[in-house]
Amino acid sequence: MFFVTAQSQTDWVRWGKSDPDYKISVETNTKQFDFSIYTFGDIVLKPVINAYRFFISDVDGDNCPFYPTCSAFLLASVQRTNIFQGTLMFFDRFSRDTNIFEREKHYPFYGKHHFYDPVDLYTLDKDLIKVIPAATQVKETK
Amino acid sequence: MTFVSKKIISISILLVCSGLAQNSLDDQYNYAKSLFDQEKYFDAITESKRLLFFDEQKLYGFEANMLIGLSYKAGAKYNEALKYFVLSEVNSKNDEQLFNSVILSARTNILRRTTQQSEKILNSLLANPKYFNRTKEIKYWLGWNYMFSNKWEKASEIFSEENLDSSLAAICRSVVNESYNENFAKYSSYIIPGFGQFYTGEYLNGLISLGWNVLLGYLTINSFVEDRIFDGIITGNFLWLRFYIGNTKNAEKFAKEKNLTIINNALERLQYDFNGSKP
Amino acid sequence: MKVLLFQIIISAAVLAQNINFNSPENIRLFADFLFCDRDYLRAIDEYEKYLSYSDEDTIRFKIALAFSAIGDQYNAIKNFNSLQETSKLYQISRIEELKSLFNLKQFSQLNSKANELNQLKSDYSDIAKKIVNLSYLLNNESMPSEKIFLEPFDVQEKTIVQNFYFQKTNPDYKSEVLAGVYSAIIPGLGKIYTENYSDGITSFLLTGLFSYLAYTNFNNDHPVRAWIFTLAGAGFYAGNVYGSIASAQIFNAKINFDFINDVYSFIEEKKYFIPEYDFCK
Repeated sequence: MFFVTAQSQTDWVRWGKSDPDYKISVETNTKQFDFSIYTFGDIVLKPVINAYRFFISDVDGDNCPFYPTCSAFLLASVQRTNIFQGTLMFFDRFSRDTNIFEREKHYPFYGKHHFYDPVDLYTLDKDLIKVIPAATQVKETK
Repeated sequence: MTFVSKKIISISILLVCSGLAQNSLDDQYNYAKSLFDQEKYFDAITESKRLLFFDEQKLYGFEANMLIGLSYKAGAKYNEALKYFVLSEVNSKNDEQLFNSVILSARTNILRRTTQQSEKILNSLLANPKYFNRTKEIKYWLGWNYMFSNKWEKASEIFSEENLDSSLAAICRSVVNESYNENFAKYSSYIIPGFGQFYTGEYLNGLISLGWNVLLGYLTINSFVEDRIFDGIITGNFLWLRFYIGNTKNAEKFAKEKNLTIINNALERLQYDFNGSKP
Repeated sequence: MKVLLFQIIISAAVLAQNINFNSPENIRLFADFLFCDRDYLRAIDEYEKYLSYSDEDTIRFKIALAFSAIGDQYNAIKNFNSLQETSKLYQISRIEELKSLFNLKQFSQLNSKANELNQLKSDYSDIAKKIVNLSYLLNNESMPSEKIFLEPFDVQEKTIVQNFYFQKTNPDYKSEVLAGVYSAIIPGLGKIYTENYSDGITSFLLTGLFSYLAYTNFNNDHPVRAWIFTLAGAGFYAGNVYGSIASAQIFNAKINFDFINDVYSFIEEKKYFIPEYDFCK
């Protein structure tokens, strides 16, 4: 948790040969279409979300400042809780999405262009809340 | 006779002594080197450090530091590698050694993608009259540097110059030729929504974009014509504008993504198919 | 003859270079160098090689210190425990063990080890008390009284530690219920209460906007639109109450997070109150 910066720190674990990777890492926020159905909520929600992604969010530019995106957030929160609580979480997410101020004071970064705002923080289960200081990068780069 | 035998004795003593003297340091260096050759890089560094620690006269200052740098480089620990290449540069005993450490610094910087630094290093080597006969080698790495800093046009030029490397030149040219013009994709979509998407081969997305823009454009203009100013502002501002701007952003994004794929394919070929020397 | 003499001198000078890299003394010299260069893993390997020649407590202790420095607390504890009770370093190794346990957050074990140390009447029992008391701040067991808590600390430390004690016993939490109730009365107020000011204002504006749109559309006989806006407005209202509760929870989690960080930075800064070693002077 607390690192002391030291010159030999890389050698504090044994390492072996590692080939360089010439490729540039690709940063996309692609949304995958999800047709699997497990619960009643999925029957109602997934066609709507898939259609939304196909007809709207894929063509109106990358407007969601967050990771996961708003539609993914909705899907995940309904799956994690229930359709009623998930909808409430989505409305809350949507109003935070509308607020363009002080984002870098509140959220960690996910990649270069997104803020990290996971479902875990909003399920009202205190044990799931994991604090990550604002403006730290959470996406692992290779 | 006595004179001759004296001479023989003295020569043999000299040989034995000089042999012994080098012996332990030399053995240690060879041991480290053998670990390096067996790809046991962590241990190779330990043994090189041991050599450096006991080598008070710095007889192996260049070789040992170089070996450490190369080991770190092989483990993709470029920051450490660079530190030791600088040390080997400091301890170099002739121009050849100096040149080799500096070139390795440049190659490590290329791999670390700190290409501005490697460009600076290589250009200063190029300007040094001492290394005039090494121009080809320097330019070769400069070409690699351009490839890693996405300057494929420049890279292709430098590789075709004096037939430096025709296969690399071909790869660079193919990247230049295949790439999409990101600005063209973006601005053509400003004029005709969906055009940039068509240009980059995303036909379905382009069609949906065009459809939205036509529909929402019609609705907006219609509201104004029918004097429903509030509706017009709302549809225009919140819907049409969103899809119009999104359409240009998408076109640019597609061009960028496709270009990245092209570049990554080329880089993959460089890494796995190309047999010449690599950084 | 002169030549011969010259050669002998040279050869003597060069022969001095002939080094046995693997003699115990040289292994130890090199290990000490690596240790002070903070190249701990290599130092551990070398010290362990040296141990097979001669078993010394200082070396065992340094191995444990090196493990502790690279964050391998389990091996650190194992090696601190390998010291004989007769050793000069025995008591300080007990303190170092407490440090490792503190880092592992094994507070109950920390407590019992500290008690053992107290029974030894060690010179270091004050340090042990300090570490144990700070560990109370990080676990959920009941706190000792303020007087007992502050007792081992000296004057300069006392103000900071007293502040910690106060924060632990009276944390600046925001009430979840209050946040929800505030937002139910005025949309967004709960978020302002949890210091998410701009989110609060946004919630207020969104709920207001959709209520207004619903209202005007009912008035102008656009019932379908009006119901859509009503639904959206109700969604934003309920979402804002829900979000305020969540916001209070996150606020409290942040308070805990910052507090734990502060305690750790304090004890790190004080270097666990352990006197400095002169291994690398």
